[in-house]
Amino acid sequence: MSKATGTEHMAKGHRAVDGYDLYFGPVHPGSGNFGVKLTVEGERVVAARSDPGYLHRGFEKLMEYRTPMQNAVLSDRLCILESLNWNLVHAEAVDRLCGAEIPRRAKCIRVIMAELSRIQSHIIWYGVLSKALGFDTGFKVAFGYRDYVLDLFEFVTGGRVYPAGYLCPGGVRRDFPDGTKKRIEDLLVTMEKMVLEFEAYDSRTMAARCHGVGVLALDDALRLGATGPVLRACGLAADVRRDAPYEIYDELDFDIPIREEGDALARSIIRRREIGASITIIRQVLDRLPAETLPPIKPKVAVKIPEGEVYVRNEIARGEAAVYMRSTGEAQPYRCKIRGPDLLHMIPVLEHLLVGAEVADVPAIYWSLNICPADMDR
Amino acid sequence: MIHMALGVIPQLIKNLFSRPMTVAFPHEAIPIPEGYRGEHTYDVDRCTSCTLCARICPNRAIEMIEAPAERQETYPKTYPQIDLGKCCFCGLCQDICSSGALSLTKGFFLSTTDRLASVRFPFPTDDEM
Repeated sequence: MSKATGTEHMAKGHRAVDGYDLYFGPVHPGSGNFGVKLTVEGERVVAARSDPGYLHRGFEKLMEYRTPMQNAVLSDRLCILESLNWNLVHAEAVDRLCGAEIPRRAKCIRVIMAELSRIQSHIIWYGVLSKALGFDTGFKVAFGYRDYVLDLFEFVTGGRVYPAGYLCPGGVRRDFPDGTKKRIEDLLVTMEKMVLEFEAYDSRTMAARCHGVGVLALDDALRLGATGPVLRACGLAADVRRDAPYEIYDELDFDIPIREEGDALARSIIRRREIGASITIIRQVLDRLPAETLPPIKPKVAVKIPEGEVYVRNEIARGEAAVYMRSTGEAQPYRCKIRGPDLLHMIPVLEHLLVGAEVADVPAIYWSLNICPADMDR
Repeated sequence: MIHMALGVIPQLIKNLFSRPMTVAFPHEAIPIPEGYRGEHTYDVDRCTSCTLCARICPNRAIEMIEAPAERQETYPKTYPQIDLGKCCFCGLCQDICSSGALSLTKGFFLSTTDRLASVRFPFPTDDEM
């Protein structure tokens, strides 16, 4: 576009300017603690620059000063929306360094809680995407259903959002309380109802607003480092639970939903189907849950972590999460590098998708990636 | 459009006869389950002053303090003072306490405008003695 001065524009009788910077976040109600600087010409985004760092808390450094049990509590905060999944990645890294044998019942509980955490995270994703599209009913319905899962978390772990390292090195901090199995079965029935409700909304509201928006090609997804539902919505069935099984996932039979379209609607459909897959997984694990009772894990003040290094990866709701941990034989890890899926989704993938999009589609693209600033900034 | 409008009607009728998802707090409350990690309760007479609670606390919210001079005879060691403003309610202090002196309760009414009110002094007040 030619550079015209303001006076020339005025002379032509209009007030148009060449382009301007539009800040989407970090104080936008729909942005989270994260911002994107958009360069806009008319209604079209011509350049996008992510602006991370508002939620940096320095976890990797904090973990170098704490023992594994204290770090288990800290790992809750890596991603507030799916604390239990982050608990599990951290716990597996410590377990592998220590060569710990995890009781089978604890492994089953870990899988059940991780899958419930995935369902809960997908519900939030549905809620915030609905809110971003101006579909408040979807937001309220989703957050209403989420509370049923939080009730269960409170019953099992003692906290609704933060489980305080419930999935900790060595197993789980305490066994399921009496009646948990029945409560989970009842919850799954409620979740099935919820999925049907989401399906009805997806076929109308979501389809009308998200179809063909934010299309990500498979080669771009691979080049930019997308993982999880974002990658699966482009047509590649990549899932760590299947590719490199951990806990008892190798015994389980479950679908990995994929779509070819790569747009925001495809990501939305993947999310809904993954809730269905998680329900199937939990039912299978409940059938396999051993009847033994687990003793509660008593924390210890100074247990040395054997010398060595590990890299552990898990499939969490947003994609591939990993922990690289190195120990020099002290009670605290020497280094704990965290690889979250959102760093790549929120910087290269988001910037790529926003270029060429219309301003009105920015929230739909932004939230269709299921972003979490806490996980990205760490 | 007509199809969409008709699709809403059964939902509208259902909503007329269903209860809301929320409860009318404080007249009604959702029961708090056993094992909830709320405010601490502490029994100084059972405490062995082992300091494990202060050492395991990930947020350093527990400080071992001495009793005031007039109570040194009854409480000669150091005892945990808990700053709830720093506490993340993880319950590690409860799990590590072998004497059962420290545990977490169902109490969650912790809001206060007085900063010092969030610090739990380990010794009983004159009224409590």
